[in-house]
Amino acid sequence: MPGTGTEDLLRQLAPQVLGAVVRRYGHFGTAEDAVQEALLAAATQWPEQGIPASPRGWLITVASRRLTDLLRSEQARRQRESTVASWALPDQWLAPAADDPPTGADDTLILLFMCCHPALSAASQIALTLRAVGGLTTAEIARAFLVPEPAMTRRISRAKQAIAASGIPFTLPKPPDRAERLSAVLHVLYLIFTEGYAATSGPSLQRGELTAEAIRLARIAHGLLPDDSEVTGLLALMLLTDARRPARTGPHGELIPMAEQDRGRWNAACIAEGVALITGALPHGPTGPYQLQAAIAALHGEALSADATDWPQILALYELLMQISDNPVVALNHAVAVAMVHGPAAGLALLGELAGDERLAGGHRLPTVRAHLLEMAGDQAAARESYLAAARRAGSIPQQRYLNTRAARLADSQST
Amino acid sequence: MKYMLLMFGSQQDYDALTGSPAPGKPAWSPQEAAAMGAFMGSFSQDLAESGELVDARGLTAPVHARRLRLESGVPVVTDGPYPETEEVLAGYWIIECDSFDRATEIASRLADCPGPEYVRGVAKVDVRPIAESRDELEL
Repeated sequence: MPGTGTEDLLRQLAPQVLGAVVRRYGHFGTAEDAVQEALLAAATQWPEQGIPASPRGWLITVASRRLTDLLRSEQARRQRESTVASWALPDQWLAPAADDPPTGADDTLILLFMCCHPALSAASQIALTLRAVGGLTTAEIARAFLVPEPAMTRRISRAKQAIAASGIPFTLPKPPDRAERLSAVLHVLYLIFTEGYAATSGPSLQRGELTAEAIRLARIAHGLLPDDSEVTGLLALMLLTDARRPARTGPHGELIPMAEQDRGRWNAACIAEGVALITGALPHGPTGPYQLQAAIAALHGEALSADATDWPQILALYELLMQISDNPVVALNHAVAVAMVHGPAAGLALLGELAGDERLAGGHRLPTVRAHLLEMAGDQAAARESYLAAARRAGSIPQQRYLNTRAARLADSQST
Repeated sequence: MKYMLLMFGSQQDYDALTGSPAPGKPAWSPQEAAAMGAFMGSFSQDLAESGELVDARGLTAPVHARRLRLESGVPVVTDGPYPETEEVLAGYWIIECDSFDRATEIASRLADCPGPEYVRGVAKVDVRPIAESRDELEL
């Protein structure tokens, strides 16, 4: 997905052009198709004919013409089927507008809010965000998520229908809803990132394009809302996590745990940027989950060796995170931090409490952590069993290989 | 005195003008469309120079229209409310001149507007005096 100059320019303009067309003519769903066609036309014409004097204006003009054509076909189809496209005016339109008049820069933000509308499923929110704000084609999104293209096409078109049916106007959410809607947007960007970072299925562990796209979108959100410390925290978290990517897999794609990674291969510039962002954001509060996770990632990133890691500080941050987050993965990481500070037995005791959590049941995460802590405690036979149990449940091939290798290593050391 | 000159067109007329033929309405050639555009431009320019032009606007394709009406007291929006053959307002000039006859004379210049014969054969423009005040409307 990172590409030529034209491609980068088009991806950057995509949400601005869509915002301008929807603001002018409405029809979010059809306008989105029209903009994609305009982007495609530009991608083929500009490299040959040169970039027009006003690329944004060119795209808006072409997309508007295409929208007219698409609406004409819809109209013809409707008349054949004698259906009428009518919709009740949403209540919010009847109330006097209290907001300041919107600016062009708000359009991208409005689109983010629209694409992450609560009426949509998480999968639809992600797909629509990547298309409408990210400017990716359906084929690219389908490839990134290892989904057949027709299925992704249906998912996106259902998402657009849901948005049309919800009747939401093209405007920023009202202040009372704003925080909740923003948290949905951040969650979607986070999911895009984690999907790229730890692919939930398939042969390749990291799909770097998705992480790069998530970071690009988070940068846009941070640019639009520079004073929101959770947006800053999310961007910092992504940068600090992605910084470890070069060291996270070996030459054959095998997974390397953080303690064994060559820290010289971590991306120092990304760490520096992430640390600077989170250091700047933390004093401004309120301190939300993304800032806490970024602060934890920053402590890892700044440790020159695994032994030099400030585990007491990390444990303190996980304890704060536990207070505001009911995420079982956070609880697992908290147990690891407890083990690093107070010894593996204390960590294993916490894992016992998590065994009943349905959200972890059947997954590989709990047995993986248990295996590591058992290994730390010196119980090699139990650790081996737990690694094998985790391997059976892991979805991605590199994860399975990593866990089986750990189990085999323990078997070898037992027999010698 | 102000007058409004109104031009009409259906979605099919817009289609033909932008190069998509409709039944009985062959597509305009790019040369024909350009000649019409140039004529309209100089028509408005002449009015601006004589000081008689107040405003001139063309409307986007009828398919972009929204209609609001009340249904049991609730506003309901219809997207694209016009059948594709229905002639609707396509553009207008507001001019300020001395008399209805002068406004009509100005409008008659539009007879020279170039275009395909089938369009010229049925072309029309309406001239409407604009009320100067509510009194004139006897409201």
